[in-house]
Amino acid sequence: MKNDLAVMMLSWEFPPRVIGGISPHVYFLSKSLAKQGVKVYVVTCDFPGAPSHEVIDEVEVYRVDSYKNPAPDFATWVYLMNLNMQKETAALTRKIENKIDLFHAHDWLVANAGIGLKHVFRKPLLVTMHSTEIGRRDGLHTDTEKMIHETEAWLTYEAWKVICCSDYMISHVKWAFGLPNDKLVMVPNGVNAQSYGAAVDDLKDFRNKFALPQEKIVLFVGRLVYEKGVHILINAVPKILDKVNAKFIIVGSGYMKEQLLNVVRGMRLEHKVLFEGFLDEQTLLKLQQCADVSVVPSLFEPFGIVALEAMAAKSPVVASDTGGLSEIIKHDVTGVKVFPNNPDSLAWGINKVLLDDNYRQRIRENAYKEVLERYDWEKIAQQTRRIYEGVLGEYSISFWA
Amino acid sequence: MRIIIFSWEYPPRVVGKLAQYVKALASLLASDKVEVNVVTYDDAITGSSREPTGVQVVRVPNPVRTHIGVLTWVLTLNQEVERAAANLYYEAGKQIDLIDAYDWHFIPAAVTLKNGLGIPFVYSVESLEDHRSHPANTPYNMAIKSVEWLGFYEAQKVCVKSEWMRDEIIRIYKVPKEKIFVVSTAPDSSVKEILSLYTMLQEA
Repeated sequence: MKNDLAVMMLSWEFPPRVIGGISPHVYFLSKSLAKQGVKVYVVTCDFPGAPSHEVIDEVEVYRVDSYKNPAPDFATWVYLMNLNMQKETAALTRKIENKIDLFHAHDWLVANAGIGLKHVFRKPLLVTMHSTEIGRRDGLHTDTEKMIHETEAWLTYEAWKVICCSDYMISHVKWAFGLPNDKLVMVPNGVNAQSYGAAVDDLKDFRNKFALPQEKIVLFVGRLVYEKGVHILINAVPKILDKVNAKFIIVGSGYMKEQLLNVVRGMRLEHKVLFEGFLDEQTLLKLQQCADVSVVPSLFEPFGIVALEAMAAKSPVVASDTGGLSEIIKHDVTGVKVFPNNPDSLAWGINKVLLDDNYRQRIRENAYKEVLERYDWEKIAQQTRRIYEGVLGEYSISFWA
Repeated sequence: MRIIIFSWEYPPRVVGKLAQYVKALASLLASDKVEVNVVTYDDAITGSSREPTGVQVVRVPNPVRTHIGVLTWVLTLNQEVERAAANLYYEAGKQIDLIDAYDWHFIPAAVTLKNGLGIPFVYSVESLEDHRSHPANTPYNMAIKSVEWLGFYEAQKVCVKSEWMRDEIIRIYKVPKEKIFVVSTAPDSSVKEILSLYTMLQEA
């Protein structure tokens, strides 16, 4: 396909540098856009052992010096890193004779670079807001938090369009920064269903390492922090065991781990609740494939990618009815939605799935179909490309063109 | 010749002696048929204005109001400086001969404009972090020093007002001697020297 459109992606993380969800997002989005005939350049922070320039499936990846001197604090480091990123991207853009149609920034972490480049080259800037400071912190309490919030506001002000991954995030971002409706566009996050659907032959042996054949597997994947609501699942464990023989597998780490372990010990259920910590990608994938139910009991969730991953791995999902999860799950169709922050409701949902084999099977099939239809990277790339084309249409009649 | 001067202070905003010096120099350059644009910071009076001397002054505010230090303040202000300079560049039909950046504050903008648009810059040094906050070895000082270093590395020429300062820059930053240009301290006598430096860059 002819490359008739070129985009410069700015992201502070890109594989192998993985800190949060932005890294895989930019990776799959860039690769899928390249398949849609978009010439994609990614400028990102360097990583030990990763080359400063490489081509991955036609995506040009440039890793720039992320500022190695000691910085006074994280936020100041971000701005210093942006200085380098902006300088390198400016040089790269000049080298390719300004053959760039737009800049696409991901979160405030690359705000300065994106805004500066927009004005220097007079090309449109788009931003994907993956999260917000005011949402992460549940308010603005310090000068650092205020500064980051104002940087986010500045970035969304300068952006031609602001992309969010869920309707919930659209309304949240609109409220946080006072943005007009027509500036906001919803494009869901994606999941690479192929890698989750891959058949694994030794699944039975694998399952036996975690649970007895008569035990159902209840899986939680996520950081062990308050907003992920893992403590609500722990509180629901006895209510579930009253009705079903199950094994609870908790994957992930976080500051609540000790506290949760103590609760489990207090209930004398150490043999039923396993804390596995961080797991490698392959092991996690197999666990998701054998899980009889995947639980997402979050209290705050901009999107809820873990629910999508479970659906792609054909594991039925029980999730709290909040944030992006409310949109991903259709109750009784592609999963079960329960009241947030309510162990009784959560236990009810999990038991409903575990006790009814037909129901479980139906949800599993519907959810997988939904993933393929709505959250496929190819479709997301097509939507993103259409947004790019719309912006360029508006740009072409502006005095910058 | 068409130039842009970057200075973080310019009357009526006066922090030290740089403001008056830059104003006097800009006026003298303007009377010497140089088209002079000054991009500076001001939160109260913003926008573009032409002075009786013919000097065009663009004052930009900081888009982020809350800060945790002078570094974050400077680093967000630089995008507004870039925006103002890029506007001047496009309005002038992409014909800007050079940028003269006073001290480290707007070095990030000068570096980006050089790399992105090919506008060379002079780094005019009034003072160094090492002298301002000796021994200047906290992460905070080191970050400012790294911006100064970037300025010396990327600048076409460095302009100083004394041989002592030239030698200090050579000592601290290992800048080649031939890159540093020493001019007189008073604008009346330095203007011709600075103009010859600009002409040298224009012809290079």
